[in-house]
Amino acid sequence: MKTLIIIRERDYTWLRTVFPDIHPLLFPICNKPFIEFLIDFSILAGSEAVRIVSDGSLIDVEEYCDNGSLWGTAISYSSIMSMDDQLAVIDKNRRFCSEEKILIISGLVFIQYDKLHDYKSLFASQPNGDLLVCNGGRLSLAGNPPELQKNSPLLSLSLIALDSLDGYYRLCMEILGFASSPYVLPGYNNEAYCHIGRNVVISKSAEIRKPVMIGNNVQILEDAIIGPGAVIGSNVIIDRKSTVTESIVLANTYIGEQLEVQNKIAAGNMLIEPEGGICITMDDPHLLTGIKKSGSVGSLLQFLVHSFAALLLITLQLIPFLILSPILTIQGKWKKSKNIYYTGTVGETLTLTTTTIERRGFISSLAAALSLDRFALLFSVLRGHLAVIGSSLELASDSNTTLHAVESWYHAGVFSYAEAEEWPVSGGDKAIVERYFAVHGNPFLDITMTIKAFFNRIHETNTP
Amino acid sequence: MIIREKICNNISVITLQGNLDASTSSILKTFKPAAAATHSLVLDISGVDFLDSSGLGAIVGIARKQRDQGGDVLLACMNNKVRKVFEITQVFKLFDIYDDVEAAIFNAEQKQSRS
Repeated sequence: MKTLIIIRERDYTWLRTVFPDIHPLLFPICNKPFIEFLIDFSILAGSEAVRIVSDGSLIDVEEYCDNGSLWGTAISYSSIMSMDDQLAVIDKNRRFCSEEKILIISGLVFIQYDKLHDYKSLFASQPNGDLLVCNGGRLSLAGNPPELQKNSPLLSLSLIALDSLDGYYRLCMEILGFASSPYVLPGYNNEAYCHIGRNVVISKSAEIRKPVMIGNNVQILEDAIIGPGAVIGSNVIIDRKSTVTESIVLANTYIGEQLEVQNKIAAGNMLIEPEGGICITMDDPHLLTGIKKSGSVGSLLQFLVHSFAALLLITLQLIPFLILSPILTIQGKWKKSKNIYYTGTVGETLTLTTTTIERRGFISSLAAALSLDRFALLFSVLRGHLAVIGSSLELASDSNTTLHAVESWYHAGVFSYAEAEEWPVSGGDKAIVERYFAVHGNPFLDITMTIKAFFNRIHETNTP
Repeated sequence: MIIREKICNNISVITLQGNLDASTSSILKTFKPAAAATHSLVLDISGVDFLDSSGLGAIVGIARKQRDQGGDVLLACMNNKVRKVFEITQVFKLFDIYDDVEAAIFNAEQKQSRS
């Protein structure tokens, strides 16, 4: 048996309008990418190979699924034209489809199956043709005719068309409601109605009400209430006194303080009402609440603590800097560049000389591990231009004025919170962690974070 | 770049082997299918180890030429490396791509008879 998954661009235009950056096959259903449900089902059906066919791009899907070794099945990819019907698709994949029984999943449809059922023998006894059809697609069999049995077992399957956000929301809530799930779902699950991922921090005063599903790297802060009926994606922070009930919070989302999210889909800076499809987009790319800047006393304390930390680092780095930097300069591995960066005050810029160390050889690796490339920047902390730890440096340019660097919470630092928390340093996601510390940071926590960032950089250098 | 041509059911099947890049794409651009064949042709690209933008340009150029004459170019047996180039550039939207040469020939015949 082989499986052919056919998905056309027209099947998922509704999803692309709201989430243009996520391929529908990778869209999470209860924290599990949709394609994984299809692969699981094809394996249960006895498939040894899966081919994903589309008239759109499959680059992201291929990057995620690769050759299928993760699932122990062979996954391949193929392109079709938008007007090709099912017969033309089979014809274009004749080599893949030859001499085998083919299970065809066509359209953006969710197959409701049970992992405990034996679909292998069920499909072996079914005749070719459509098994199940719904508005969004179909499940059919093609290829060699089966050895028909007199009493074919009944299909314990159904199809759900994924054709709207409401349908998606209802499906997630339905899956969440199974005491013993018929699907393989991610996360630790030692009791019914509850799945919890890795690296989840739940405050003692937070309340978790089943059914609930929590992804990886999630922080649930004091007095937050999660559930019943909450799906929390990975890399999510639910801030103090917030309530999330019967809602889906997609990955990389920050729910601010004292918010009530009910019957909604929250994703980044979007809050969607599934039933009406009403979507509110916040100006703030991540937070759903504002950030207040600390007063002048707080700023003075921060300056003093940061200056002390910078002095300490300068003392530690001085001798290695005096020894290693001339050697690396001669070797051509110590590269300086002068650029204009944003600082702490809204829109204010500063010309800084930054250093890059070319990490080849022991001396340059040692210098990078000791963060000697940041040595010169530490003096800007003493002058009050930079924080010892804060947001990552953003280049000031005319085209950059819409970036978060010009927002009120931005405060550039020698080290960044993203480095301390091992968050992706590049891309927009680092803003989540930076905003978190803009709300919750304090000068003394900054010392701990600076030490973490410093040691993470040593580890980063040692990691090939 | 080695180019071989055979005629199957009046359809020219061109097999490419080697690298299709700036230095070799001109061979494909100037290649003329056998006169006996129809305007539709099948390109078997299973043997193409490397494809760059000029190689891609050569394939698109041939297709344009054939289509202007009322024919078409069908691609067959695309390997993973070449498929990735087609994916990134979205050129896959311009071609009928088959994983089997016989299927491609059959469909080229069908297209030819329809036109």
